[in-house]
Amino acid sequence: MIVDVDSESVWPADADDVDEAVVANWFVREGGAVDAGDTLCEIQIEKVSVDVTAPESGTLAERVVPENGEFRRDDVLARIETD
Amino acid sequence: MSTPASDPGTGDADRELTMSRAMVDAIASEMRADDEVFYMGEDVQDYGGIFDSTEGLLDEFGRDRVVDAPISETAYVGAAVGAAQAGMRPIAEIMFADFVGVCLDQVYNQMAKNTYMSGGSFNVPMVLTTAVGGEYNDAAQHSQTLYGLFSHLPGMKVVVPSTAYDAKGLMHAAVRDDDPVVYMFHKRLMGIGWMPAPEGPKTPVPDEDYTVPLGEADVKREGEDATVVTLGLHVHRALDAADRLADDGTEVEVIDLRSLVPFDTETVLDSVEKTGRLVVVDEDYQSFGVTGEVIARVAERAPDALEAVERVAIPDVPIPYSRPLEKEVNPQVEDIVAAVESVE
Repeated sequence: MIVDVDSESVWPADADDVDEAVVANWFVREGGAVDAGDTLCEIQIEKVSVDVTAPESGTLAERVVPENGEFRRDDVLARIETD
Repeated sequence: MSTPASDPGTGDADRELTMSRAMVDAIASEMRADDEVFYMGEDVQDYGGIFDSTEGLLDEFGRDRVVDAPISETAYVGAAVGAAQAGMRPIAEIMFADFVGVCLDQVYNQMAKNTYMSGGSFNVPMVLTTAVGGEYNDAAQHSQTLYGLFSHLPGMKVVVPSTAYDAKGLMHAAVRDDDPVVYMFHKRLMGIGWMPAPEGPKTPVPDEDYTVPLGEADVKREGEDATVVTLGLHVHRALDAADRLADDGTEVEVIDLRSLVPFDTETVLDSVEKTGRLVVVDEDYQSFGVTGEVIARVAERAPDALEAVERVAIPDVPIPYSRPLEKEVNPQVEDIVAAVESVE
Protein backbone atom coordinates (compact mmCIF):
# COMPACT_ATOMS: atom_id res chain seq x y z
CA MET A 1 0.00 0.00 0.00
CA ILE A 2 1.22 3.51 -0.78
CA VAL A 3 0.85 6.14 1.94
CA ASP A 4 1.20 9.84 1.18
CA VAL A 5 3.25 12.02 3.52
CA ASP A 6 2.29 15.63 3.93
CA SER A 7 3.06 18.43 6.35
CA GLU A 8 -0.44 18.96 7.74
CA SER A 9 0.13 17.23 11.09
CA VAL A 10 3.26 19.24 11.87
CA TRP A 11 2.20 22.61 10.49
CA PRO A 12 2.69 25.07 13.40
CA ALA A 13 -0.49 26.59 14.80
CA ASP A 14 1.05 30.05 14.69
CA ALA A 15 1.73 29.67 10.97
CA ASP A 16 -1.93 29.21 10.01
CA ASP A 17 -1.75 32.33 7.85
CA VAL A 18 1.16 30.87 5.86
CA ASP A 19 0.60 28.56 2.92
CA GLU A 20 4.12 28.04 1.57
CA ALA A 21 7.18 26.22 2.86
CA VAL A 22 10.43 24.70 1.63
CA VAL A 23 12.06 21.30 2.18
CA ALA A 24 15.40 22.14 3.83
CA ASN A 25 16.80 18.62 4.23
CA TRP A 26 15.94 15.06 3.31
CA PHE A 27 17.33 12.42 5.66
CA VAL A 28 16.27 9.24 3.86
CA ARG A 29 17.10 8.28 0.30
CA GLU A 30 14.50 6.99 -2.13
CA GLY A 31 14.38 3.25 -1.62
CA GLY A 32 15.49 3.57 2.01
CA ALA A 33 13.75 1.72 4.82
CA VAL A 34 11.87 3.79 7.41
CA ASP A 35 10.14 3.03 10.68
CA ALA A 36 7.00 4.87 11.68
CA GLY A 37 8.11 7.97 13.58
CA ASP A 38 11.50 8.32 11.86
CA THR A 39 12.25 11.80 10.67
CA LEU A 40 12.02 11.88 6.89
CA CYS A 41 12.78 15.51 6.22
CA GLU A 42 13.05 18.95 7.73
CA ILE A 43 10.84 21.68 6.35
CA GLN A 44 11.10 25.41 6.89
CA ILE A 45 8.04 27.60 7.31
CA GLU A 46 9.01 31.25 7.52
CA LYS A 47 12.43 30.29 8.95
CA VAL A 48 10.95 27.89 11.52
CA SER A 49 12.31 24.36 11.11
CA VAL A 50 9.94 21.45 11.61
CA ASP A 51 10.67 17.74 11.25
CA VAL A 52 8.27 15.59 9.21
CA THR A 53 8.08 11.99 10.40
CA ALA A 54 7.03 8.79 8.68
CA PRO A 55 3.36 7.97 9.38
CA GLU A 56 3.96 4.26 8.61
CA SER A 57 6.87 1.84 8.38
CA GLY A 58 8.01 0.78 4.95
CA THR A 59 10.14 1.99 2.09
CA LEU A 60 10.47 5.60 0.99
CA ALA A 61 9.18 5.11 -2.52
CA GLU A 62 9.38 8.71 -3.71
CA ARG A 63 10.51 12.13 -2.61
CA VAL A 64 7.87 14.23 -4.35
CA VAL A 65 9.33 17.60 -3.31
CA PRO A 66 13.11 17.81 -3.77
CA GLU A 67 15.57 19.36 -1.33
CA ASN A 68 15.25 23.15 -1.44
CA GLY A 69 11.93 22.67 -3.26
CA GLU A 70 8.96 24.84 -2.36
CA PHE A 71 5.52 23.43 -1.70
CA ARG A 72 2.02 24.46 -0.58
CA ARG A 73 0.56 23.42 2.72
CA ASP A 74 -1.43 20.36 1.63
CA ASP A 75 1.01 19.14 -1.04
CA VAL A 76 2.30 15.57 -0.88
CA LEU A 77 5.98 15.58 0.16
CA ALA A 78 6.75 11.88 -0.18
CA ARG A 79 5.22 8.45 -0.67
CA ILE A 80 5.87 5.43 1.52
CA GLU A 81 5.27 1.88 0.36
CA THR A 82 4.20 0.11 3.53
CA ASP A 83 5.57 -3.28 4.62
CA MET B 1 16.28 5.23 25.94
CA SER B 2 15.06 8.61 24.81
CA THR B 3 16.67 10.39 21.92
CA PRO B 4 17.09 14.10 21.32
CA ALA B 5 14.50 15.84 19.23
CA SER B 6 17.00 16.25 16.43
CA ASP B 7 17.60 12.53 16.04
CA PRO B 8 16.05 11.48 12.73
CA GLY B 9 15.52 7.90 13.67
CA THR B 10 16.70 4.38 13.91
CA GLY B 11 19.96 4.89 12.09
CA ASP B 12 20.26 2.04 9.66
CA ALA B 13 22.29 2.54 6.50
CA ASP B 14 19.39 4.38 4.90
CA ARG B 15 19.67 7.26 7.35
CA GLU B 16 21.53 10.41 6.39
CA LEU B 17 22.22 13.24 8.80
CA THR B 18 23.16 16.86 8.46
CA MET B 19 26.43 17.79 10.15
CA SER B 20 24.61 19.56 12.99
CA ARG B 21 22.47 16.51 13.76
CA ALA B 22 25.51 14.22 13.63
CA MET B 23 27.35 16.49 16.06
CA VAL B 24 24.36 16.57 18.43
CA ASP B 25 24.01 12.79 18.09
CA ALA B 26 27.54 12.34 19.47
CA ILE B 27 27.14 14.92 22.24
CA ALA B 28 23.85 13.33 23.37
CA SER B 29 25.41 9.88 23.40
CA GLU B 30 28.36 11.09 25.49
CA MET B 31 25.98 12.88 27.89
CA ARG B 32 23.94 9.70 28.34
CA ALA B 33 27.06 7.68 29.02
CA ASP B 34 28.68 10.08 31.49
CA ASP B 35 26.92 12.50 33.87
CA GLU B 36 30.09 14.63 33.99
CA VAL B 37 29.60 15.74 30.38
CA PHE B 38 27.68 19.00 30.04
CA TYR B 39 27.32 21.83 27.50
CA MET B 40 27.70 25.54 28.21
CA GLY B 41 27.47 28.55 25.93
CA GLU B 42 25.33 31.40 24.63
CA ASP B 43 21.87 30.55 23.25
CA VAL B 44 22.60 26.83 23.51
CA GLN B 45 19.60 26.13 25.74
CA ASP B 46 16.14 27.06 24.41
CA TYR B 47 17.56 28.30 21.11
CA GLY B 48 19.49 25.07 20.50
CA GLY B 49 22.57 26.93 19.32
CA ILE B 50 22.30 29.58 16.65
CA PHE B 51 23.85 27.09 14.20
CA ASP B 52 21.89 24.11 15.64
CA SER B 53 24.91 22.77 17.54
CA THR B 54 22.77 21.81 20.57
CA GLU B 55 19.33 21.39 18.93
CA GLY B 56 17.21 19.03 21.03
CA LEU B 57 19.67 18.58 23.92
CA LEU B 58 17.67 20.69 26.39
CA ASP B 59 14.60 18.46 26.10
CA GLU B 60 16.54 15.35 27.01
CA PHE B 61 19.09 16.66 29.51
CA GLY B 62 17.51 19.72 31.13
CA ARG B 63 18.88 23.05 32.24
CA ASP B 64 21.52 21.74 34.63
CA ARG B 65 23.42 20.04 31.84
CA VAL B 66 22.65 22.34 28.91
CA VAL B 67 23.56 25.71 30.33
CA ASP B 68 22.98 29.19 28.90
CA ALA B 69 25.82 31.38 30.14
CA PRO B 70 25.83 35.16 30.45
CA ILE B 71 27.58 37.01 27.63
CA SER B 72 30.99 36.68 29.20
CA GLU B 73 33.14 34.16 27.39
CA THR B 74 35.90 34.75 29.92
CA ALA B 75 33.56 33.66 32.72
CA TYR B 76 32.13 30.53 31.21
CA VAL B 77 35.20 29.31 29.34
CA GLY B 78 37.09 29.84 32.59
CA ALA B 79 34.36 27.93 34.46
CA ALA B 80 34.71 25.10 31.97
CA VAL B 81 38.47 24.97 32.52
CA GLY B 82 37.90 24.76 36.27
CA ALA B 83 35.19 22.12 35.92
CA ALA B 84 37.48 20.05 33.70
CA GLN B 85 40.32 20.29 36.19
CA ALA B 86 37.89 19.17 38.92
CA GLY B 87 37.03 16.02 36.95
CA MET B 88 34.06 17.00 34.78
CA ARG B 89 34.06 16.86 30.98
CA PRO B 90 32.61 20.20 29.86
CA ILE B 91 31.86 21.28 26.33
CA ALA B 92 31.94 25.07 26.06
CA GLU B 93 30.89 26.91 22.91
CA ILE B 94 32.18 30.22 21.63
CA MET B 95 29.33 31.24 19.34
CA PHE B 96 31.66 32.62 16.65
CA ALA B 97 35.39 31.81 16.54
CA ASP B 98 35.81 35.54 15.86
CA PHE B 99 34.95 36.21 19.53
CA VAL B 100 37.84 34.19 20.96
CA GLY B 101 39.66 37.45 21.55
CA VAL B 102 37.49 38.33 24.52
CA CYS B 103 38.45 35.11 26.33
CA LEU B 104 41.83 34.38 24.82
CA ASP B 105 43.61 34.25 28.16
CA GLN B 106 41.28 31.50 29.36
CA VAL B 107 41.83 29.60 26.11
CA TYR B 108 45.54 29.78 25.49
CA ASN B 109 47.00 30.51 28.93
CA GLN B 110 44.62 28.42 31.08
CA MET B 111 42.87 25.72 29.02
CA ALA B 112 45.91 25.00 26.86
CA LYS B 113 48.64 25.33 29.48
CA ASN B 114 47.31 24.29 32.89
CA THR B 115 48.32 20.65 32.45
CA TYR B 116 51.89 21.76 31.79
CA MET B 117 51.94 24.55 34.37
CA SER B 118 50.69 22.22 37.12
CA GLY B 119 53.36 19.66 36.34
CA GLY B 120 50.66 17.22 35.39
CA SER B 121 48.76 17.61 38.67
CA PHE B 122 45.74 18.59 36.60
CA ASN B 123 44.56 17.84 33.14
CA VAL B 124 41.86 19.73 31.27
CA PRO B 125 39.54 17.27 29.49
CA MET B 126 37.24 19.83 27.87
CA VAL B 127 36.00 20.53 24.37
CA LEU B 128 35.78 24.07 23.08
CA THR B 129 33.30 24.20 20.20
CA THR B 130 33.07 27.17 17.91
CA ALA B 131 31.44 28.15 14.62
CA VAL B 132 33.68 29.27 11.79
CA GLY B 133 33.57 30.49 8.23
CA GLY B 134 31.88 32.92 5.96
CA GLU B 135 30.40 33.73 2.59
CA TYR B 136 26.97 34.53 3.87
CA ASN B 137 27.48 38.31 4.27
CA ASP B 138 28.16 38.46 7.97
CA ALA B 139 31.13 40.81 7.57
CA ALA B 140 34.64 40.93 8.97
CA GLN B 141 33.92 40.13 12.63
CA HIS B 142 31.62 37.10 12.05
CA SER B 143 33.13 35.34 9.05
CA GLN B 144 36.62 34.24 9.98
CA THR B 145 37.86 30.70 10.48
CA LEU B 146 41.02 31.61 12.46
CA TYR B 147 42.28 28.04 11.89
CA GLY B 148 45.86 29.25 12.01
CA LEU B 149 45.45 31.25 15.20
CA PHE B 150 43.97 28.34 17.17
CA SER B 151 46.49 25.85 15.76
CA HIS B 152 49.46 28.10 16.47
CA LEU B 153 48.97 27.92 20.23
CA PRO B 154 50.50 24.80 21.81
CA GLY B 155 48.60 22.67 24.30
CA MET B 156 45.31 22.12 22.57
CA LYS B 157 44.16 19.82 19.78
CA VAL B 158 42.21 21.34 16.90
CA VAL B 159 39.72 19.49 14.67
CA VAL B 160 37.61 20.65 11.71
CA PRO B 161 35.00 18.20 10.36
CA SER B 162 33.76 18.47 6.77
CA THR B 163 31.05 15.79 6.76
CA ALA B 164 28.36 14.49 9.08
CA TYR B 165 30.20 11.17 9.43
CA ASP B 166 33.43 12.88 10.49
CA ALA B 167 31.55 15.37 12.70
CA LYS B 168 30.10 12.57 14.82
CA GLY B 169 33.31 10.55 15.04
CA LEU B 170 35.47 13.57 15.84
CA MET B 171 33.04 14.73 18.55
CA HIS B 172 33.15 11.33 20.26
CA ALA B 173 36.94 11.41 20.11
CA ALA B 174 37.09 15.00 21.36
CA VAL B 175 34.87 14.42 24.41
CA ARG B 176 36.76 11.25 25.36
CA ASP B 177 40.19 12.86 24.98
CA ASP B 178 41.85 13.74 28.29
CA ASP B 179 43.24 17.02 26.92
CA PRO B 180 41.56 20.16 25.59
CA VAL B 181 40.21 19.86 22.05
CA VAL B 182 38.99 22.78 19.96
CA TYR B 183 36.17 21.58 17.71
CA MET B 184 35.61 24.06 14.86
CA PHE B 185 32.39 23.52 12.90
CA HIS B 186 31.77 25.40 9.67
CA LYS B 187 28.41 27.17 9.67
CA ARG B 188 27.79 26.45 6.01
CA LEU B 189 28.26 22.71 6.49
CA MET B 190 25.75 22.34 9.33
CA GLY B 191 22.70 21.89 7.08
CA ILE B 192 20.75 24.91 8.31
CA GLY B 193 17.85 25.78 6.04
CA TRP B 194 18.61 29.48 5.73
CA MET B 195 22.35 29.07 5.18
CA PRO B 196 23.68 28.36 1.67
CA ALA B 197 25.34 24.93 1.76
CA PRO B 198 27.24 22.72 -0.67
CA GLU B 199 26.25 19.18 -1.60
CA GLY B 200 28.30 16.71 0.37
CA PRO B 201 28.35 17.37 4.14
CA LYS B 202 25.15 15.36 4.65
CA THR B 203 26.23 11.72 4.75
CA PRO B 204 25.07 8.37 6.06
CA VAL B 205 25.80 8.24 9.80
CA PRO B 206 25.80 5.03 11.83
CA ASP B 207 23.54 5.06 14.88
CA GLU B 208 26.16 3.48 17.12
CA ASP B 209 29.10 5.34 18.65
CA TYR B 210 32.40 5.44 16.77
CA THR B 211 35.47 7.65 16.84
CA VAL B 212 37.41 9.37 14.10
CA PRO B 213 40.91 9.48 15.62
CA LEU B 214 42.33 12.93 16.28
CA GLY B 215 45.30 13.55 14.00
CA GLU B 216 44.26 11.46 11.00
CA ALA B 217 43.69 13.13 7.67
CA ASP B 218 41.33 11.50 5.18
CA VAL B 219 41.89 11.06 1.46
CA LYS B 220 38.47 12.09 0.19
CA ARG B 221 39.37 11.41 -3.44
CA GLU B 222 42.34 9.57 -4.93
CA GLY B 223 44.34 10.85 -7.89
CA GLU B 224 47.77 10.64 -9.48
CA ASP B 225 48.35 14.08 -10.99
CA ALA B 226 48.12 16.65 -8.19
CA THR B 227 47.43 16.83 -4.45
CA VAL B 228 44.96 19.32 -3.00
CA VAL B 229 45.21 19.64 0.79
CA THR B 230 42.34 21.46 2.46
CA LEU B 231 39.76 21.34 5.26
CA GLY B 232 36.23 22.33 6.23
CA LEU B 233 34.00 23.93 3.58
CA HIS B 234 36.76 23.86 1.00
CA VAL B 235 36.92 20.06 0.99
CA HIS B 236 33.68 20.22 -0.96
CA ARG B 237 34.96 22.93 -3.28
CA ALA B 238 38.12 20.91 -3.90
CA LEU B 239 36.02 17.84 -4.73
CA ASP B 240 33.99 19.94 -7.19
CA ALA B 241 37.24 21.23 -8.71
CA ALA B 242 38.53 17.65 -8.96
CA ASP B 243 35.36 16.64 -10.83
CA ARG B 244 35.88 19.42 -13.34
CA LEU B 245 39.57 18.68 -13.78
CA ALA B 246 38.81 14.99 -14.29
CA ASP B 247 36.76 15.97 -17.33
CA ASP B 248 39.99 17.28 -18.83
CA GLY B 249 41.97 14.21 -17.81
CA THR B 250 43.64 15.54 -14.64
CA GLU B 251 43.22 13.26 -11.63
CA VAL B 252 43.39 15.21 -8.38
CA GLU B 253 43.89 13.69 -4.94
CA VAL B 254 41.89 15.59 -2.29
CA ILE B 255 43.12 15.38 1.30
CA ASP B 256 40.80 16.52 4.08
CA LEU B 257 43.06 17.36 7.03
CA ARG B 258 40.22 16.93 9.61
CA SER B 259 42.75 17.61 12.40
CA LEU B 260 45.15 20.54 12.39
CA VAL B 261 46.63 19.53 15.75
CA PRO B 262 47.92 16.83 15.76
CA PHE B 263 48.84 17.23 12.11
CA ASP B 264 48.94 14.16 9.85
CA THR B 265 52.13 14.96 7.97
CA GLU B 266 52.50 11.39 6.67
CA THR B 267 49.29 11.35 4.66
CA VAL B 268 50.21 14.64 2.98
CA LEU B 269 53.78 13.49 2.28
CA ASP B 270 52.67 10.14 0.84
CA SER B 271 50.38 11.94 -1.57
CA VAL B 272 52.92 14.55 -2.68
CA GLU B 273 55.53 11.84 -3.21
CA LYS B 274 53.05 10.25 -5.60
CA THR B 275 51.86 13.38 -7.43
CA GLY B 276 54.77 15.82 -7.10
CA ARG B 277 52.36 18.73 -7.22
CA LEU B 278 50.80 20.38 -4.19
CA VAL B 279 47.98 22.90 -3.90
CA VAL B 280 46.91 23.96 -0.39
CA VAL B 281 43.48 25.56 -0.04
CA ASP B 282 42.47 27.37 3.13
CA GLU B 283 39.64 29.64 4.25
CA ASP B 284 41.93 31.46 6.68
CA TYR B 285 44.26 34.33 5.92
CA GLN B 286 47.19 33.44 3.70
CA SER B 287 50.13 34.73 5.74
CA PHE B 288 51.49 32.88 8.80
CA GLY B 289 48.78 30.23 8.52
CA VAL B 290 47.71 26.74 7.43
CA THR B 291 48.91 27.02 3.82
CA GLY B 292 52.44 28.03 4.81
CA GLU B 293 52.58 25.31 7.48
CA VAL B 294 51.54 22.51 5.13
CA ILE B 295 53.99 23.59 2.46
CA ALA B 296 56.83 23.96 4.99
CA ARG B 297 56.26 20.44 6.33
CA VAL B 298 56.50 19.00 2.83
CA ALA B 299 59.48 21.18 1.90
CA GLU B 300 61.37 20.12 5.04
CA ARG B 301 60.83 16.42 4.58
CA ALA B 302 60.52 15.77 0.87
CA PRO B 303 61.98 18.70 -1.07
CA ASP B 304 62.90 16.45 -3.98
CA ALA B 305 59.33 15.19 -4.35
CA LEU B 306 57.93 18.70 -4.66
CA GLU B 307 57.92 19.70 -8.31
CA ALA B 308 55.43 22.54 -8.05
CA VAL B 309 53.40 24.20 -5.32
CA GLU B 310 50.61 26.75 -5.08
CA ARG B 311 48.39 28.07 -2.30
CA VAL B 312 44.90 29.48 -2.36
CA ALA B 313 43.69 31.30 0.75
CA ILE B 314 41.95 34.46 1.92
CA PRO B 315 44.20 37.44 1.18
CA ASP B 316 45.41 39.34 4.23
CA VAL B 317 42.43 41.66 4.42
CA PRO B 318 39.32 41.90 6.62
CA ILE B 319 36.56 39.79 5.07
CA PRO B 320 34.19 42.11 3.19
CA TYR B 321 30.46 42.39 3.86
CA SER B 322 29.71 43.06 0.19
CA ARG B 323 28.54 39.88 -1.52
CA PRO B 324 30.72 40.14 -4.67
CA LEU B 325 33.76 41.30 -2.68
CA GLU B 326 33.41 38.48 -0.14
CA LYS B 327 33.13 35.96 -2.97
CA GLU B 328 36.24 37.48 -4.48
CA VAL B 329 38.40 36.92 -1.38
CA ASN B 330 37.04 33.45 -0.45
CA PRO B 331 38.56 30.68 -2.61
CA GLN B 332 36.05 29.43 -5.19
CA VAL B 333 35.98 26.20 -7.19
CA GLU B 334 37.37 28.11 -10.19
CA ASP B 335 40.29 29.36 -8.10
CA ILE B 336 41.17 25.79 -7.12
CA VAL B 337 40.90 24.61 -10.73
CA ALA B 338 43.20 27.45 -11.83
CA ALA B 339 45.73 26.68 -9.08
CA VAL B 340 45.86 22.99 -10.05
CA GLU B 341 46.26 23.92 -13.71
CA SER B 342 49.10 26.29 -12.79
CA VAL B 343 51.15 23.51 -11.15
CA GLU B 344 50.62 20.97 -13.93
